[in-house]
Amino acid sequence: MSITRLTTNGLTGTKYDTVSADNYYMEPIATTLLASSQATISFTNIPQNYKHLQVRAFGKSTTTSDQDLRWQYNGDTSASYSIHYLLGNGSGAFAAGAANNTLIRANSTLVRSTYTSVYGAVVIDILDYANPYKNKTSRHLGGSENNTSGQIILDSGCWYNTAPITSILFYPSSGNFDTYSRISLYGLKA
Amino acid sequence: MAFTYSKLASTTVGAGGTSAITFSNIPQNYTDLVLKISGRISIAQIYGAFWLNINGTTTNRTYRYLEGNGASASSGSGTNTNISTGEGNSNTANTFANVELYFPNYTSSNYKSWSTDSVGENNATTSYMDMYASLWSNVAAISQLSILPESGTILQYSTATLYGIRVEL
Amino acid sequence: MAITYEPIATTTTSGSASTLTFSSIAGTYTDIVIIGQGSASSGTGINLRLNGDTASNYSNTILYGDGSSAASLRQSSVTSINFGYFSTGVSDFNGSVMNYSNATTYKTTLSRRNSSAVATSAVVGLYRSTSAITSITLFTDAGVTFTNGSTFTLYGIKAA
Repeated sequence: MSITRLTTNGLTGTKYDTVSADNYYMEPIATTLLASSQATISFTNIPQNYKHLQVRAFGKSTTTSDQDLRWQYNGDTSASYSIHYLLGNGSGAFAAGAANNTLIRANSTLVRSTYTSVYGAVVIDILDYANPYKNKTSRHLGGSENNTSGQIILDSGCWYNTAPITSILFYPSSGNFDTYSRISLYGLKA
Repeated sequence: MAFTYSKLASTTVGAGGTSAITFSNIPQNYTDLVLKISGRISIAQIYGAFWLNINGTTTNRTYRYLEGNGASASSGSGTNTNISTGEGNSNTANTFANVELYFPNYTSSNYKSWSTDSVGENNATTSYMDMYASLWSNVAAISQLSILPESGTILQYSTATLYGIRVEL
Repeated sequence: MAITYEPIATTTTSGSASTLTFSSIAGTYTDIVIIGQGSASSGTGINLRLNGDTASNYSNTILYGDGSSAASLRQSSVTSINFGYFSTGVSDFNGSVMNYSNATTYKTTLSRRNSSAVATSAVVGLYRSTSAITSITLFTDAGVTFTNGSTFTLYGIKAA
């Protein structure tokens, strides 16, 4: 069954698609599962035929402190990003933001090596990643819990560049990704 | 096998913007709906909310939210059709909010609850993000969803995509 | 092409149910997604146990807004994860058990809980066992039952 009518109650330039509803929406693009520690995980040559991207990450740090999962798009290491978060740590709820950053991050997603077998997790949604008219805004829900402390965070980030995203480089704020860390990239069909 | 997760419809706002994006005649043979919005509205402020009409109605609505503004966290509640933070037109140019609504059991004969996670972005300390718990106290199946700006118009290049999730074992 | 997002099981409550279990979960996916919607005889956590483990092998951190305040709380060494929440009015939750089929790591959960009458919240949970997850139990707080017609569904997500 299809939606046969899709409207905007507005002015010119409305675009609507009628498509068969029984199409296949979410496809895995690539996964990296580490058999040993590694400094970075990257996805390159990302197909441009999806509408949105989703990243599902499960990670651990090789250091003795919890680390952020950080990333950059298309090799851009300049101060072209902003980041914001809404965080709970068991003691209170906090929010903060920063402009002109050189990266986007998911706070405290990579659990310290001190807690054996404990990994943090985050789900990252990047909408309209291939749209050439829009800066790229991402939304992330993630956190970590180690039975002594924990953080649950709604993060966001923006890459101030209208170029389509063709690559993503992930890395920890310090140290390496530990063994069995996994990052999976999915495409959500256009 | 019928596919579990299907795109039902998608729209991109054209030049001049629009006063609303409406998905009508939503198929009733799915279990859940997911609505993804990448949007910006014309209101001249940083915070620009999206509102949602269901089946053409604006009544019998309640919500409770948690919000961060780049400096502090807060919480509130209400009964209007506010669903999420968006992106006002005072934010950094070419920047659009990232919003997702999840409607479980949208065809059931119970009241309809849904989850919203939304972030606006801005190349500054101040920007808004929200988590919403919303309820439409109506037993009708959801057949129409209309996304509106709290004021002004939804701007060009905003997109909305509606997906259906089917439980068919 | 293999299906990425696939329903595994679904159930709807009837009678005076307070517990439900999904068992014999295949290990063919990477993450499990759990969706629930319904209500209860009084406000209750929707508590998550894995593999039938009733020991104090769980912990969680919660961020919530109750309409007045934004706050957070934690629980260590408890007997379940506070994965969802139902009030006496219709509420819903959605979340994931990440890496559920992995037999080398502990299991981390992420969930969103929504009751327009009470609070909206996000939860991160930990189950301290490296065993692959083959059963998921959801249950209410003591003395509370699900309202008839509450629904719970599992989906599996496959990675590349």
